[in-house]
Amino acid sequence: MRDLMLRAPGSRFAIHAAVTVAIWAVLTWLNGSIEPQLSYYLALAAMYATAMFGMTILVGLSGQVSLGNGALMAVGGYVFALTSMKWSTVPIIGVPWNAVWSMVFAGLGGVIAGVLIGALGARLRGPYLAGLTLGIAVGIPTIVNRFPALLGGDEGLKLIVPYPEGGYPEAISQQEAAEQVPADDAFLDEFLVEELPADSATSAPADSGDLLTPEEAVSGVESGDLLTPEEAVSGVPTDAPTDAATDTALVVDVPADGVDAAAAVGSDFVLQQWQASVAIAVACIVGFLAINLVSGRQGRVWQAVRDDPVAAAVVGIAPAGAKVSAFVVSSLFAALAGAVLAQILTFVGAGAFGLGLSLSLLVGVVLGGRMSLAGAAIGAVLLVWLPELVDTVSGDRGWPDQITNNAPNLLYGLLVVVVVLLAPGGIMGAVSGGWARVRPQRARETR
Amino acid sequence: MDTFVNFFLGGFANGAVIALMALALVLVWRSSRVVNFAQVGQAMFTSFVGLTVVDLTGSWILGLVIAIAAGAVLGLIIHFLVMRPVRRADSSGAIIATFGVLIALQALAAMIWGGDPRAYPTPVSYSGITVFGRVIAITPYDIFVIVAMVILVLILTIVLTRTKLGLSMRASAFNPEVARLSGVRVSRMLAAGWIIAGMVGAVAGVLVAPTATLSPNSFDIFLVFAFTAAVIGGLDSLVGAVTFGIGTGLLLSLVTGYSDASNAALVALILLALNLWFKPEGAFNHHKARSV
Amino acid sequence: MPYVLPLTHPVLETVGVTVRLSGLTILDDVSIGVPRGSVTGLIGPNGAGKTTVFNVMTGFLAPDEGMVRYEGRRLKHVRTHRLTSMGIARTLQGVGLFPALTVEENVMLGGSSHVRSGIVADALAMPWADAGQRRLRERAREVMEEFGVLEDAQRRPSELPYPVQKRVALARALVSDPKVILLDEPAGGIDSGDMADLARIISSWVPQRTVLLVEHHMELVMNVCDLIWVLDAGKVIAGGSPELVRNDPAVIAAYLGEEDAH
Repeated sequence: MRDLMLRAPGSRFAIHAAVTVAIWAVLTWLNGSIEPQLSYYLALAAMYATAMFGMTILVGLSGQVSLGNGALMAVGGYVFALTSMKWSTVPIIGVPWNAVWSMVFAGLGGVIAGVLIGALGARLRGPYLAGLTLGIAVGIPTIVNRFPALLGGDEGLKLIVPYPEGGYPEAISQQEAAEQVPADDAFLDEFLVEELPADSATSAPADSGDLLTPEEAVSGVESGDLLTPEEAVSGVPTDAPTDAATDTALVVDVPADGVDAAAAVGSDFVLQQWQASVAIAVACIVGFLAINLVSGRQGRVWQAVRDDPVAAAVVGIAPAGAKVSAFVVSSLFAALAGAVLAQILTFVGAGAFGLGLSLSLLVGVVLGGRMSLAGAAIGAVLLVWLPELVDTVSGDRGWPDQITNNAPNLLYGLLVVVVVLLAPGGIMGAVSGGWARVRPQRARETR
Repeated sequence: MDTFVNFFLGGFANGAVIALMALALVLVWRSSRVVNFAQVGQAMFTSFVGLTVVDLTGSWILGLVIAIAAGAVLGLIIHFLVMRPVRRADSSGAIIATFGVLIALQALAAMIWGGDPRAYPTPVSYSGITVFGRVIAITPYDIFVIVAMVILVLILTIVLTRTKLGLSMRASAFNPEVARLSGVRVSRMLAAGWIIAGMVGAVAGVLVAPTATLSPNSFDIFLVFAFTAAVIGGLDSLVGAVTFGIGTGLLLSLVTGYSDASNAALVALILLALNLWFKPEGAFNHHKARSV
Repeated sequence: MPYVLPLTHPVLETVGVTVRLSGLTILDDVSIGVPRGSVTGLIGPNGAGKTTVFNVMTGFLAPDEGMVRYEGRRLKHVRTHRLTSMGIARTLQGVGLFPALTVEENVMLGGSSHVRSGIVADALAMPWADAGQRRLRERAREVMEEFGVLEDAQRRPSELPYPVQKRVALARALVSDPKVILLDEPAGGIDSGDMADLARIISSWVPQRTVLLVEHHMELVMNVCDLIWVLDAGKVIAGGSPELVRNDPAVIAAYLGEEDAH
């Protein structure tokens, strides 16, 4: 395969593009033929995969264990939300704004954040980097409280996604949001999409204001740690998007002027499917870039620097540069994933991008296989599917909620340990049996 | 001036707890060159154990004792089941494994005790002392915490510097080969590091639980604070951990007092980032860094 | 120093280099030159500071005093990863191969400084990025063939016997077509048959390339070197042709009791 790809310049592009388009076509077909509820899960999985392709590069190939990617997703999410809410034309160029521009700016924001974090992070060895990025995961989301007017503070920002016919994103004022029926998570979990049309005029995008529990608001130290009640329970809010978006799942499309637009669009192309199509498109584009990088020179450079920075320098690779580039690429991907997540949740808030999200990304990429992009995709599916599986099992057995809600995280934690101990290549490594290849080995001790 | 003094005094108790958490991190780092990101998870878990005991027996002190015992057991279990088998070659693996343990412990605690924040009782009053007719920000409980920290640090100092166990631990931390040759059971010393760290962490958890509510991830933020303090202190230095733990507590208390609590994490992050910018390897590194 | 040296054109030299680490003087006023087109050896008992000289020359270590000159120009702040683009290649003690990469990928990375396509072109799999890699691969294959490791191209270093790994490391250093090659204990861990090969290979490089060799193995050094510098306890104690050095009383004294002198 590699022989083939190097035989004629350009063939690597052609092959990867063909594979990417094929995957995109299959996923798009899948998206069109499944229930909207499943489309929603598909959107989540694609969003996770987008971020986790970056984790494969950062944690797997370049060997830098980072927990900061959740915060980098916040950068993308907020840039997407702000640019789409505040700007009606592209600055300087002057062309009308649309969601693609917001994605571009979100990516740009990610690149800038990646350069900043990478410049510091590339100097650090394993545990220091992990600790620093842990601080980033916990500390950065609290910035929203510094600029409540701009970033919406604890409440976060609501945005209306650029759904077809729905026009460009606009903000719902907090007041309008407050008027809308506050959704109770547990209650809404019972609802699925069948209930939608009746509700669509009144119930609104997620009840973001409720993300902060009173206790959390009161206790000072952890106010950086805005969590939904479920997240407070679980620590890893893998299900937070689920919950929040189960709310939004009730909405076909409710711009500020409500019913008309919803009626105009009709119910045959529902919001979830549109969200999934966006998420799939972004995941495919990012996946294309990632496979090119990983299969090409850059992938070798990252692995070389990971395993032996001294030898890498001797052969003419700048180790710091390679490490920073891994950071920048992974932040770009994370920011794009964050922008997608903002569109899935139709909301950005500190709670959605907390430590739990960062941990989820780490869990997913480790379980799937931290050295391979396919592993990242598997991990993404696992993050979405495992809670559902547990839910099903628990429904059959009649477990109490307290068990059900936390079982996925317990499984994640235990599986991560098991994978590290027994199969460092994760699922992908175990399947392909090729994890001997990717085992990072101890760098030489001499000198 | 009054407010400053109040914030300052209040910071000591906070700092004492951060110092203990940082101590726990340092103890594990010294013994096995791993930053135990699960440390706050262990502290949270053992605090829940302690709370359960307090609820059952009504005895705060029994809760503390059982929590410490649980901390020792948990440290030992994690060391033997998780950290010891991690291949040294896989340095990312060790870090990832500690996060796996953290996630699992938090989920397990939520399963057993639920996710709602719980109040942990205090052995002494937790309301401001009145001095010359004015209520100041330091409470009897704060004083209790500080005293407890000082006692614990004294005990640790004696154990680590005056006992055979402590000397063996130090020997195996600084030069495992030589220690092994001189008859020290190095693997036991690693385990001892995890056990003692677990106990220290358990004390920290029980002490901090009444001031912050106890929930499966309410200690997360302390991981950032303690890591910051431990790194600034050199990650290898017990004295450094205590000093900078208290220092971090004071600073954060002032930050919290003068601006607002949600800034604490950000300030800790800035502190950590600045420190790592100027000392990327931390101060601990006696070996000359391989600069490339 | 008892010898007058043929240092008309030192391509690489240290001038009065002194290195102190935590109170110890590791190198003391070391001035050695590597004449263009020669094989120069750097020998000395264990701990004499040979590898430290290499580390100073390749920018791992900044000297406290003195300087490194390359082609007559002072090298200030040598950045290790810039060396190959300047024409200096170095091997590392042991093998220093990247365990996760195949032999071919390892050797290709040796030509990193000749790759001009950036990360963006790589991310988009642009044809010119591939073309650069293809050229590099052809070059790598040539060098691998020269070193007899072409049949192992798709294997990982850990699957190969140690002497073969060392040859791969040499191939990786050669792929950047360096003017100067610094070899750090190339004979370490290989047997006499391979040693003869190694001597033949090194001799075949000159005079097109210049070689500086740190080596314990006296036989190899005496066979291939035109000029030998002897370090002891951080100081240059002798320098000259193999015959002169072999019979130098100071050198013999330095090596007395040094079992390792073979």
